[in-house]
Amino acid sequence: MAGALDFTPAIPLLPFASFLVALLAGYFAPKLLPKGGAIPGIVATAGSLVLSVWTFFAVSQGDYLSETLYTWVVGQDTFSLHFGVLVDPLAAMMLVIVSLVAFLVHVFSLGYMNDEGETGLPRYYAGLGLFTFSMLAFVVADNLLMAFMFFELVGLCSYLLIGFHFREQGPPSAAKKAFLVTRFGDYFFLIGVVAVFATFGTARFVATGDGAHAFPHMAEQALAAAGGEGTMPGPVADFLDVVGMSAQNWFSVVGLLVLGGVVGKSAQFPLHTWLPDAMEGPTPVSALIHAATMVAAGVYLVARMYGFYALLPTVLAIIALVGGFTALFAATMGVVKDELKQVLAYSTISQYGYMMLGLGTGGYIAATFHLMTHAFFKALLFLGAGSVIIAMHHNEDMWDMGGLREKMPVTYYTFLSGSLALAGIVPFAGFWSKDEILYEALIYGAGESPILLVAYAMGLLAVFFTGFYTFRMVFLTFHGDARSETAKDPHGVGWNVKFPLVVLGILAATVGLVNMTPVAKFTGAHIEFLKDWLAGTEGTAFSNLGYEHYHHLLVDFAGYGAADIAPYVPAAISLALALGGAGLAWVLYNVDEPVEHTEKLGGAKTVLYNNYYQDEYQVWLAEGVTLPLARAADAFDQGVVDGVVNGISSVSLFSGSRIRRIQSGVVSHYAAMLTLGLVALLVVFGVTGGWF
Amino acid sequence: MTELPPLTPQLVLAATALVVFGIDTLSPDDDTNTLLAGVATTGTLLSAGIAAWFLSAGTGDFSFVQFDGALVVDALSLFFAFVVGTVATLVVVASHDYLADQEHVAEFYSLTLLAATGMSLMASANSLVTVFISLELASIPSYVLVSYLKTNRGSVEAGLKYFLVGALSSAIMVYGISLIYAATGVMGLAPIAETFGNGVEFVGVLGLGIVMLVAGFAFKTASVPFHFWAPEAYEGAPAPVSAFISSASKAAGFAVLFRVFTTAFPLEVIAGSVVDWSLLFAALAVVTMTLGNFAAATQENVKRMLAYSSVGHAGYVLIGLAALQSGGGAENSFVLGASMMHLLVYGFMNTGAFLFVALAEYWGVGRTFEDYNGLAERAPVACVAMTVFMFSLAGLPVGGGFLSKYVLFAGAVQSGFAWLAAVAAINSALSLFYYSRVVKAIWIEDPSDDLALTGQPTGLYVAVLAAAVGTVALLVAFDPVAQTANHAADVLFQL
Repeated sequence: MAGALDFTPAIPLLPFASFLVALLAGYFAPKLLPKGGAIPGIVATAGSLVLSVWTFFAVSQGDYLSETLYTWVVGQDTFSLHFGVLVDPLAAMMLVIVSLVAFLVHVFSLGYMNDEGETGLPRYYAGLGLFTFSMLAFVVADNLLMAFMFFELVGLCSYLLIGFHFREQGPPSAAKKAFLVTRFGDYFFLIGVVAVFATFGTARFVATGDGAHAFPHMAEQALAAAGGEGTMPGPVADFLDVVGMSAQNWFSVVGLLVLGGVVGKSAQFPLHTWLPDAMEGPTPVSALIHAATMVAAGVYLVARMYGFYALLPTVLAIIALVGGFTALFAATMGVVKDELKQVLAYSTISQYGYMMLGLGTGGYIAATFHLMTHAFFKALLFLGAGSVIIAMHHNEDMWDMGGLREKMPVTYYTFLSGSLALAGIVPFAGFWSKDEILYEALIYGAGESPILLVAYAMGLLAVFFTGFYTFRMVFLTFHGDARSETAKDPHGVGWNVKFPLVVLGILAATVGLVNMTPVAKFTGAHIEFLKDWLAGTEGTAFSNLGYEHYHHLLVDFAGYGAADIAPYVPAAISLALALGGAGLAWVLYNVDEPVEHTEKLGGAKTVLYNNYYQDEYQVWLAEGVTLPLARAADAFDQGVVDGVVNGISSVSLFSGSRIRRIQSGVVSHYAAMLTLGLVALLVVFGVTGGWF
Repeated sequence: MTELPPLTPQLVLAATALVVFGIDTLSPDDDTNTLLAGVATTGTLLSAGIAAWFLSAGTGDFSFVQFDGALVVDALSLFFAFVVGTVATLVVVASHDYLADQEHVAEFYSLTLLAATGMSLMASANSLVTVFISLELASIPSYVLVSYLKTNRGSVEAGLKYFLVGALSSAIMVYGISLIYAATGVMGLAPIAETFGNGVEFVGVLGLGIVMLVAGFAFKTASVPFHFWAPEAYEGAPAPVSAFISSASKAAGFAVLFRVFTTAFPLEVIAGSVVDWSLLFAALAVVTMTLGNFAAATQENVKRMLAYSSVGHAGYVLIGLAALQSGGGAENSFVLGASMMHLLVYGFMNTGAFLFVALAEYWGVGRTFEDYNGLAERAPVACVAMTVFMFSLAGLPVGGGFLSKYVLFAGAVQSGFAWLAAVAAINSALSLFYYSRVVKAIWIEDPSDDLALTGQPTGLYVAVLAAAVGTVALLVAFDPVAQTANHAADVLFQL
């Protein structure tokens, strides 16, 4: 009987089929396409979800998969390029998350797009289908190059969907910005992919079967050999001679190059600027981008090749610091935003900062945990925001809302569930995962790697801001009195909006229970299910993808050591900070007629409103530095390069015309020149040959 | 079972020439153009086919010495017999339409066949005497063919210039041969080399003789400074004759050049004591390709441009001798083989290009680039073929010219002549400029209003298309050619 894993390739291919259906039917026979392509999309993603869950159970039975599907470049005496699938606990978990969120987003789109009478629906659903396909294929990619290709496809899809309303002014520009900024990071990623191939001769994440190698494992061997144990793999030794760097340094360079793509896609400082603008896209697309696909791809990639990063303490520290800084930095900007989706956008940046912080501080489980919980509560928040936006007739300004609590209870309570999760209030999902990240940062920071304490401090401080902006958003939107006519009489929403909200609302409240580390420590009960899930098997090639192995790498290679700190006090601190932030929001904004308090911030307000001038300096970089540089290069090209080329050609043409003149047409001239030429040859070779 | 004599390809050509004469003698007044063309085509095709057959059957693995060492049949001679036979076939087929209105048709065919016999024999010549005789056998009919259009001043003038320069060159060459004989006392190529076994005597006389001999070959291959006749002759001659001289005659000149210098004057002995002829050819190669390409770039007349490009290609082929080195084994075979491959590919693409010019002359569209404007709208198929020829000549991968140039340059690099390959590559890039002018004219420019093409020159079309198919086929089926050419070079060095 065919097992679940035999159907794994179908998981991404189903949404691809729905993409094709929406595209082709939408073009040739739009009338035949039910609901503008929504139905095929829903069916396909539901199918993916079912298969993903089935795969999940198969994996839980210890049934893993790594299989080459198609080799599209066969290398002779060198590496080959192929597509393949890799299903391990991490991938299986991500498959379920992505297909679930994609399914719910499709359903929600019925309410958000179809019921609102949008045009161009086949294009929209084709984009969603392709987006889901790309992300699912990225998740099951078994090598870095395939991951890169689908990573790029994800970027392309985000461009198509953010710019869905291409006739308006904002969306096309936002789409371009998202595309270009992430492309900037991907450029480094591409070089990184090439570097990985050049260094290791393979880009596989895991090696199964004869003669296969996995680059993280080869890196481990190389570093071990550099430390005096075992032998350096041949290709690595050869290439290190070429670059002339030590293994540790070179691998760090490679790791940072790949990280460039991650920073772009996961919207980490300083490449985060595209993400708030991306709010121009339809809200379900924002949900998909932020929760499960594009932004998640970056963090997932680091987790996917964690066996490589765990070897490199420098890179880990950079990841942790970038993550911690982004978490804090984005949270502070979220405090002053007036539009619902803008707040959520900055919260996304901040939350992914936490995940990076977790990965950088050795909290692989914690970061993955947060990736999962965040996927659910952020999808929930966006869909909730979408519901509010429908109700508010597409007005997103929170100062025009208020008092929506009574009008739309389902949205309110689910949104509240998501907000509690985001703010990290016990026992909602975000509390457990965020707390675990901070805990890991603390113990390793207090242990052997004090630099991580800086990252920890930033992450901790961000908790306060997170609590504040989250509840500022909740109070402004739902509490108090209605501040506009629309808010007094909001538009109703249908089942197709409520259903996804309820599913996600329940998940946001409960999904954190799968890994309650403090409770486990306290009671001694064996309830860290996620940790067990990701621990990895023993004795097979897949054990290299498990947390046990990563932990061993962190200790042996990155020099991480944990201090013995009980989890309760740090948990209490972060909970207190979250509650403090929420409480401040309560005091300031949970009143009938809230007013803006931003004036009290003084000069900081302008800075925050302008997002720390991030866009400005990047525009300045583009216009003030890159453009003159490009002009100079152009001038060089036009003047010097073209000048030389033109000079050569005019010299050629000139000498050509001289030669024409020699060719006078008078045959006696020819005879004379012929003879002279012969004499010249005779003299030259006679003298050199010593004939005379 | 009887065996065919090893010289069958040459014998067939000579016999066909006589048959053509015979037919004309028997019926001098009838319109026998088609019959004569048919007979001539059969003969040339048969000659090329037999050469190919001999090659594949392994006849070329040995040296079949004929007439006491005066002639020899080996892989090199068969390879060039095939080249000459193929080019002659294309030319004869194309001439059928070109000559339709002329009076002395039989003379044209038989002279072409006799010249082809001479060229084919040049590849087999194994003694300085036969070298000279076969060279003259190829040259004298060529002079006549160039001035074949007796009432056309350009044709007659071109023929006269060709003849005068040719006579001068022949004189220099035969003087050189006499000096070599004076220094060595023998005429056979192998015996000359044997005399060096006891040390080289009369160094000055021998050196003078060798350089003068080079002059004779340089004339035949249109290398600088003996190239002056080429633009004039190619431009004035009927286009099929230009095709014939620039492809087959050049190939034959190189064939005999290769044989004489590798057999009679081994680089190991001569380079140190008399004259470093690989350096001499390197100098000639650089000057020839540079001058040819630079001059071609400024031409307005397509046929003249092709003439200079033909000079430039002679420069490329000279690399095959320039890059030889003392004691080099496989590298020498490789680079010399590469030159031979280039000559074969060149036989198709250059002949095709000149025959396209013949087609244009047949239509009477004029000779300059501007006159070719928009031809593609009227004659798309022929223009596709012309595009293939032009790009293949420039070395773009649409035809065999890409691979043969590539192998040639690679061979030069491999032998340690990277600078020579670099010069050739720069020249090759320059050549793209003037070749693409033709392509631009026929495809991109708009035709003038009164551009009308009349007539259905089937033979010309067939020849042009066959050349195009050959050019493209050599791109995909290059390997057997490369094997054969390398093998031929191997045989030349070893036996």
